[in-house]
Amino acid sequence: MLTIEEVPNTDQFKGQELSILVSAGWMDNRYDATISRFEDTYGCTVDLQTIPADQYSDILQSDLENGTCPDIFWIQSNPFAIDSVIVDPEKYCIDFSGADWQNVMPTSRQASCMSGDKLYGLQIWHNSPEYVMVYNKTLFNELGITSVPTTYDDLKKDCATIAAKGITPWFMPGADGWQHQLSFFQIGGVYQEDQPTLYDDLNNNKATFADNKKMLEVLGQFKELSDAGYFGEDWIGTDSTNMSNEFGDRKCAMAMANSSFIKQIQDDTGTKDEYGLFLIPLGDNTWYPTNPAGPTMFGYKGTKNADLVKAFFQFVCTPDSLQEILDNSPAYTNLDVNVNIEQHWLPEEEEFMKTVDPSKMGISVLQTGTKYTNDYWMDFGADMVSFCQGTMEANDVLKNMDTNRAKSAKTAGDPNWK
Amino acid sequence: METCAIFKRREAVLNKKKIYPQWFVIIPLLLYILFFLFPSLMGVFYSFTDWSSRTAMNGLHFVGLQNYTDIFTSNKDYTSGILNTFRFTIISNIVKIIPALFLAIMLQEGLKGKGIYRTLFYLPSILPFVIIGLVFRSILNYNNGLLNASLDAIGLGILKQKWLSDLGTVWGSIFGVDAWRGIGYVMTIFLAGLNAIPKDYYEAAEIDGANFWHKLWYVTLPMMKGAIMINLVFGITYGLKVFDIIYVLTNGGPGHATEVITTYAFQLYSEGQYGMSTALNTILLLVTAVIGVAIVKVMSRKEAGQS
Repeated sequence: MLTIEEVPNTDQFKGQELSILVSAGWMDNRYDATISRFEDTYGCTVDLQTIPADQYSDILQSDLENGTCPDIFWIQSNPFAIDSVIVDPEKYCIDFSGADWQNVMPTSRQASCMSGDKLYGLQIWHNSPEYVMVYNKTLFNELGITSVPTTYDDLKKDCATIAAKGITPWFMPGADGWQHQLSFFQIGGVYQEDQPTLYDDLNNNKATFADNKKMLEVLGQFKELSDAGYFGEDWIGTDSTNMSNEFGDRKCAMAMANSSFIKQIQDDTGTKDEYGLFLIPLGDNTWYPTNPAGPTMFGYKGTKNADLVKAFFQFVCTPDSLQEILDNSPAYTNLDVNVNIEQHWLPEEEEFMKTVDPSKMGISVLQTGTKYTNDYWMDFGADMVSFCQGTMEANDVLKNMDTNRAKSAKTAGDPNWK
Repeated sequence: METCAIFKRREAVLNKKKIYPQWFVIIPLLLYILFFLFPSLMGVFYSFTDWSSRTAMNGLHFVGLQNYTDIFTSNKDYTSGILNTFRFTIISNIVKIIPALFLAIMLQEGLKGKGIYRTLFYLPSILPFVIIGLVFRSILNYNNGLLNASLDAIGLGILKQKWLSDLGTVWGSIFGVDAWRGIGYVMTIFLAGLNAIPKDYYEAAEIDGANFWHKLWYVTLPMMKGAIMINLVFGITYGLKVFDIIYVLTNGGPGHATEVITTYAFQLYSEGQYGMSTALNTILLLVTAVIGVAIVKVMSRKEAGQS
């Protein structure tokens, strides 16, 4: 475990101003105490410019292009985002290579902060299980389902048992437009396991989504569950607004959600039922949905306060700051850092993590493990609905993703697509 | 000589009077050119380029007809979006204009409380689309919407539908909501037209033994050509540009079943593919212009024939 110390204060930053450009929701109140301590420590001021999420990208691009960018800026990063969003990190970002705090981040997250062998960003984010299956453990037990499904066949059997009692087995909020496709993308490990060089091949334009047997199998399974009514009578027209109440009223037994959703069900409905987590079993998946994506901060190369920027990055990585950030983030139970801080894991999370094979945590989810995929999230979701309604073939859903990715690659001038 | 000077002065005054209204036109014309014509032409220009969210970094390049070729050949079914736009334009006008005409005739007659009915029918057209979308998405919800709950309550549960998520019903739901919103507006224009028809014509027709249908066919409809044409022009341009009602009710779904040109253009714009987006909008502009010019020509010909 690392311990980072703050830069010694010799009044070198007194009276200086550090400006930060960030999208709403990425820092919120959880950095307030740390920023305040930073100001007190160095006698400087921090100008936090929080921009509404829908305008942020345009403002950042324009600021970078016009040379008016604040000292620190944020992007929603993943292993490919630096090259696709910032495009020219050499021109716009401070090179932090060799910084003490680099290994505060696990290796998987460092990939989202580096371009080539240079370190540009700092990603402090949580590592709670994201979009795994949340299920009503009490209900499962009452229905005689003693273990969670680990294969697709098990899942189907359990769904049949649950549906026979008039309960929706798997609540699928299709009307949201962005949730149902998680069942396909969060299990990226199974595709890579089936075709070991798949991610690299997809990133080098040597493989396609189309004709991928495992992906076709998973899409087929999804449609089978849809046709059987296991997602509810009208999953395509149902959104997630009422999801916690559906759980509380025992109208559904499971759904894809974050671990923090368990607390939400309990808070919203006052239910005494116990809940648990298991991996999405489509494609007989045994892979944990590792996702190194998250809001990430970068130093602007054109800043006049480069040393102050570096001091801020170092300050954020001290154990006190990290603990403060976690304690001020009620929605998160942990921070994914190699620093000894007091995490607040939920018992359900700890129980779930014990069931996951650590060797199955090394592959990213498909949407952030492969280039240009996440950009077409909504399109893919709409295509999946068309497939379930019989107006599109499974392979055409995959072909559309290839077409869209090629379009993005062309726009980005990706040499692999030339 | 004096007479000649008077004539010259009068001519100058007359010329000034002729010129005077042209000055009035200049400001709106400039505004029109600046805020409508110029952006539209710029849009047409950009549709031949690779304008995208990365143009600031990569520069703008001329790509000829590539965007248009992509629209008609790509896997993404833009063509069905174009066809859906035509479908919406035709059907939405039929389901609004015909009932609105009969409503207008009904409310023109001596119906008790017709003022209240007129107001009630007109009210939905002043509601914002976002509110209409929220309300009807709730009403048409399969599991707990008011419509299905009402059908259940009166023992007609068999008629329950997935109003916004079933391929067989979704367009019907959209047309229904659009008619609910728009009928009052169309009806108001018809009422204005009906008010302009002299009562003598109907009295003369009645003396000749005409029944309701005869009067409708031989008096009302011929005299209402202007109002019908106005509603058609408004309806067709509204139909071709349709976005809001689709966006708030289905957002082009389920799947891509209710995508129209503008929803595809909006998606492309959101994805940063501005060139493709403007190409789709240019197609829409061309179609609207061609249909608009055709309607104006038909109207002008008819007006010339009448005079």
